[in-house]
Amino acid sequence: MDTQALWLTLRLALTTTALLLLIALPLAWWIASGAGAARALTQAVVALPLVLPPTVLGFYLLVALGPLTAPGRLIIRLLGHPLAFSFSGLVVGSVLYSLPFAVQPLVAGFRAVDTALLEAAATLGASPLRTFTTITLPLAKPSLVTAAVLTFTHTVGEFGVVLMLGGNIPGATRTLSIALYDQVQDFNYAAANRTAGLLLAFSLATLIVIYWRGAERRPLLG
Amino acid sequence: MADLVQSAQPGIFTSYPHQDHLSVELRHRLGALEIDVDFRLTKPWTILFGPSGSGKTTILRAIAGLLRPDFARIVNHRRPVSSTKEGFAFVATDVGVWRPAHKRGAALAAQRPALFPHLTVIENMTYGYRGGGSGEEQEYVDRLTATLPALFQIEHVLGKRPAELSGGEAQRVSLARAAMAGRKRILLLDEPFTGLELPLRDLLISNFFAWQSKYGTPVLSVTHDVAEAFQLGAEVIKLAEGKVVEQGPVEAVLADERARLLTQLNRPTSQNRDVGHPI
Repeated sequence: MDTQALWLTLRLALTTTALLLLIALPLAWWIASGAGAARALTQAVVALPLVLPPTVLGFYLLVALGPLTAPGRLIIRLLGHPLAFSFSGLVVGSVLYSLPFAVQPLVAGFRAVDTALLEAAATLGASPLRTFTTITLPLAKPSLVTAAVLTFTHTVGEFGVVLMLGGNIPGATRTLSIALYDQVQDFNYAAANRTAGLLLAFSLATLIVIYWRGAERRPLLG
Repeated sequence: MADLVQSAQPGIFTSYPHQDHLSVELRHRLGALEIDVDFRLTKPWTILFGPSGSGKTTILRAIAGLLRPDFARIVNHRRPVSSTKEGFAFVATDVGVWRPAHKRGAALAAQRPALFPHLTVIENMTYGYRGGGSGEEQEYVDRLTATLPALFQIEHVLGKRPAELSGGEAQRVSLARAAMAGRKRILLLDEPFTGLELPLRDLLISNFFAWQSKYGTPVLSVTHDVAEAFQLGAEVIKLAEGKVVEQGPVEAVLADERARLLTQLNRPTSQNRDVGHPI
């Protein structure tokens, strides 16, 4: 068992989940609070990783974050090294790749909150922000849990983006799924079996927890 | 009712009674209904009376800031008017003024009680106050929290959540929550007593009216019930198809409606069975 890869995977998943919730909460609130072309476009872009091969996303990020583009050069100047082939680069890739898994449950959860409650809060003098934190967010808490768990699980299971963007550097970018790939390449089937079993057990356990809670009766992605 | 107002005991509430009155000019098209009204609320309690579909709820929602009307000029005037000509504009579409709902101080108790399901009854009631206000405000809130539950007969459910309440209890909590907003500029009540059971309903109407006349902000309530309007004995604005037909004391404005009701009641018994239906 590659314990270094295990810890790296957990660290990546935790970092991604925390960052993604920070990004997804306001984004989902904005999407859920109205309609229109701008929101439709945003939702389409957010949903792209669902249908796009991860290698496509990884390729574009590799190019965008590298020395070929202005933002990439800026990052290199600031950090002293490119984002690609580093842990930070993996986080950026994972955040984008898991974006729909965080945003979509939140949007569904926020939309399910009765408008009459939001109106009542407003006429009682609560600002939109206070209404969001005291009414919308508590009532959409199951969606928040779903978003966090799905993001975490999805990041753990990520392969294509990591391979394109991170390569295979032990301790920096070599996650469990990459380690598994390596082990198979080396014909080390015993080790591969343990890694694969761990990933399978983890994913299954997470999904059982989500469905057991039964809190989210709406489709997870919709 | 004037004597009730003047007889208010000196004390913590006396600095807040009816300092304000509201002027409402509103034009709004809603499907086939063209609302076009212009009225002033100068009494402690005014009733918007009219059949369903006459635009009553839309007018309340426009005052509360929950819909953007085609044209509106809704201004709250401080009393005494002589001290300043300036009013507090809720909305004035002609000069591009739009004050969002939460900054208007217009508490609305909707017809369907919209209680926050994750909060207890008492938490629902005090939601409009964030705490951390002045000591005077805290004292005021404490006073309301101590008196309103008895008035609305909800003392036994203060610690419960909305899902555990009966329909009538939920409605009373919704009214109490709006009444808690006693220092706001106006209290908007959409069919506040409809559906409440009878002995309690009568008691609530008289208690709430007396209390509100003494201590609360001006009320604009909506009803299509003649009996309720007479019971409240308030100023009435009679609406039909989005227009104001008449405004004045209930005895004057709704005399014909009452006469018609009484005639129906006095018809031969064979027809009395129909009286239960709304007119």
